[in-house]
Amino acid sequence: MKEKIDYENLKDELLSVLDSGLKSARKKDHAAEFELYVFYKHSTRVDVKQGVVEATDGLVEGNAVRVAKNNSVSFASSSGISTDRIERSFNEATASLKAVSVKDERFKGFCEPLKPGREGAFSSEILNLSKERLIKYSDGLVKEAKKFDPRVLYATCTCSTDWGGFAVGNTLGLQQASRSASNACQIYCVAAKNEERRTGNEYDISRERVIKSEGLGENAAKQAVALLNAKKLNKTQIMPTIWPPIAASSYLFASLGQSASGRAVVEGLSPLSGKLGKKVAHPGLTIVDDGQDPSSLSTETVDAEGHPQERNTLIEGGVLKNFMFDTYYARIYGAKSTGNCSRGGVFGSSLPYESQLSIQPCYIKVTPGKKSMEKMIKSIDGQAILIADVPIGIFHSDVATGEFSAVAQSVFLVEKGEKKYPLQPVSVAGNFYKGFQNLVDIGSDSQRTPFQTETPTLTLDGFSVVG
Amino acid sequence: MLEKLRECVTYGEKLGAEFVEARYDDLVLRTLQRTNDAWKDIILRSRAGAGFVCYCGGASGYSFTSSDTKEALKKTVAQSVKMAKASAKATSLKLDFDKQAPIKSRKADTYPVKIHPQQKGLDYKTGLVNRAVETARDFGKNINNVTGWYGELYGRKVFTNSEGSDINWDFEIVDMRCLVISRMSTGELVIGIEQAGGTAGLEVFQKKGSKPEDIGKAAAIQATEQLKAKSCPAGKFRALIENTLGGVLAHESFGHLSEGDFVVIGGSPLAGKIGKRLGTEHATIVDHGTPDIEKFGGLWVPFDDQGTRAHKTVVLEKGIFKHYLHNRGTAKRLHEDPTGNCRAVHFGFMPIPRMTNTYFAPGDLNREEALELLDTGVYAIQTSGGQVEDDGSFVFKAIRGYWVKNGKIQEPLREVALSGNILELLTKIEGATKDLFIQAGYFGGCGKSGQAPLPVGTGAPEVVIGEVTFGGKAD
Repeated sequence: MKEKIDYENLKDELLSVLDSGLKSARKKDHAAEFELYVFYKHSTRVDVKQGVVEATDGLVEGNAVRVAKNNSVSFASSSGISTDRIERSFNEATASLKAVSVKDERFKGFCEPLKPGREGAFSSEILNLSKERLIKYSDGLVKEAKKFDPRVLYATCTCSTDWGGFAVGNTLGLQQASRSASNACQIYCVAAKNEERRTGNEYDISRERVIKSEGLGENAAKQAVALLNAKKLNKTQIMPTIWPPIAASSYLFASLGQSASGRAVVEGLSPLSGKLGKKVAHPGLTIVDDGQDPSSLSTETVDAEGHPQERNTLIEGGVLKNFMFDTYYARIYGAKSTGNCSRGGVFGSSLPYESQLSIQPCYIKVTPGKKSMEKMIKSIDGQAILIADVPIGIFHSDVATGEFSAVAQSVFLVEKGEKKYPLQPVSVAGNFYKGFQNLVDIGSDSQRTPFQTETPTLTLDGFSVVG
Repeated sequence: MLEKLRECVTYGEKLGAEFVEARYDDLVLRTLQRTNDAWKDIILRSRAGAGFVCYCGGASGYSFTSSDTKEALKKTVAQSVKMAKASAKATSLKLDFDKQAPIKSRKADTYPVKIHPQQKGLDYKTGLVNRAVETARDFGKNINNVTGWYGELYGRKVFTNSEGSDINWDFEIVDMRCLVISRMSTGELVIGIEQAGGTAGLEVFQKKGSKPEDIGKAAAIQATEQLKAKSCPAGKFRALIENTLGGVLAHESFGHLSEGDFVVIGGSPLAGKIGKRLGTEHATIVDHGTPDIEKFGGLWVPFDDQGTRAHKTVVLEKGIFKHYLHNRGTAKRLHEDPTGNCRAVHFGFMPIPRMTNTYFAPGDLNREEALELLDTGVYAIQTSGGQVEDDGSFVFKAIRGYWVKNGKIQEPLREVALSGNILELLTKIEGATKDLFIQAGYFGGCGKSGQAPLPVGTGAPEVVIGEVTFGGKAD
């Protein structure tokens, strides 16, 4: 492998490592099947916390091997992509297969080679972002937020760039690689008045252009300050809840993102099991998982086992159309993989090569409706609450039950068609899947969020609100 | 490796760093997971890498690599110096620290286990999981799914710095879990889960209550009981918080607020609160890197990733706020001593103030007295996790519970969320039992600033609280 890997030659270099690794593996055991995954990512990150500046830079390289023989499969990974580190993984995986016979009769082989999908958008400007510029962006945003209002107690900002890629191949002849570069910034601030504290945050994430940081600090500060002087709701009641894009995306990610997984369906963990072709949501709801959206950060040519990433309709007009599959669960279910094999779990991982394969959404997109958020608020007759940020605890629900209980920290009372005033935190509880059926309204304000989701505002009824 | 790291420290100083910290981790992680009859995970991970923190002008830079060649390590430390110099130009809140005498580790710093996971083969460990899963099947009802896990993490941690500290010790942790999912007649699914582990040898799974059969049986019995459990009513009730849930509460909701990095920027509501009464006399919270594991369970962390020896830090003593949790820079800034709390999840991250074993100190009640004190309310048990905000607001999910009336346990309750603000909650603690238990494990862990999952210990006795908000169903 070359001493210096750059973005241009990254795929070729990783494919070369992959090819020699697989050739070496074949010699070990002709009767076994091997899969090799090699990962390479360069990251620069700057955190500015008030006046404390921390800059980090580094390279994560790693490899993962799966070995299959007689319906037994083992997995091993090592940091590094040198020949000896890859050899180590092969040896560990082979040794564990010999040491213990744990049959998985459902395993029917690795991913078959297919034509890859498209790479996502790329901007060479992202590669040229220096640590000095990241420090300037972060510091500038913190100062912008603080300057906006004296009630802003403190602000923190993280700006980062990443570039890298992976190659995956197996002894069925599959050898694919994918690469991407992205940059992101996120500003978080807290406004305080006496003992009351309210938060605001803004972000920009892109793979097709350099981040646009201007105004994000002020917006985050505005959000936090607007939530001050919150009143108590003082009641426990079932009422409509309005979820703007950032909150709605957390709802979708925590619910459908997990329950539409082929694993949850096959293992009997999902309430959506057996409901294919049936009405599971309001007829106005259409949701697609798009692994080929050029601007999505998760778009790759192939997924983590080498299957092409795809566009997959999950719910159309309220009817459940498909689940998300990798090769393993697709074969058990009698379906085709949808290119949703992932390494790194629900929220990703800093060392994804260490993770066993799982099924995760690529990019969940809700088809927008026609109403603006203002019109959605106007159509509320009695009382509702508007949840302005990700409710805490939303990701700690159980996919098996769909029951959730979260606390909305950034929340406003809506009454007789008007957004009235901020509320002190309220608890919101209910069932995710009943929520989809009790969908009242879909907004027109679609927005990309950090949860690999693009959704407009949603109004959902039937949840208990306690405050 | 220590020699290579020492050379890098010198090299970093030559390039202009005022202080250099160098560390190298060489760890092995093993995960086994069986779901029903199929093995889902038989994973072995080798995680090795180096990280360098360089300090210039009160600012820090960090760089890391998974390579262990001298050239790669030198290149990495040079990059770290550059990052620190760039940071120094923009930093306005400097976190210098005083020099101290070098620290040398001893053999006794590695926790002595009787049966190290390295001594047993894979078949022994799959056997542990099989025993738990099969027992769960024997004792469960309407079972939809049974999953058993085994995890181990062990290996060498090496550290040196500009003061000439030489630290070399072995981290070790094992974990076993069993999850049973049963289906109610209505089609809804309920769960039961049990765990054992921490820094211990495999002998821990031979102890009564921690044997695989005990773990499987307990999970199955819990899931079976949940088949007839009711939803917890929504509202504010008196509560008895079970040990593992109490431990997560101490860690997540209070511990994070006491971390020095959050305090120095003025972000924590605990900033400026040293010496102030924050809770009742029954509220004492401690962070301790080397607790009495034999007695209470927990995690062994004799040094943090900045080379500071573990401390026992009483953060809150009988309701009075006493101390923050620090790295060396935040300690100096806040005029306190370092507490051995500067930790990183792996070589890819700069160490930051994190907890070790955080727990509510035990009280003087037995279970019956605690139920009597509770009188009527919710007995909330175990947790599947939670989330906190910077102001101390929290939401935790209790996996199960009981309604208690006049001090007597009544019907079982389904999963329920508890919410509130820790600073209010501490003022409502009315008592605690004698039985401290610190839970630690391989699966899960603490998350902060993108660094997760960091192994931690969380502990508590059973704690009686005057009022907690339960988010259940509205009538």
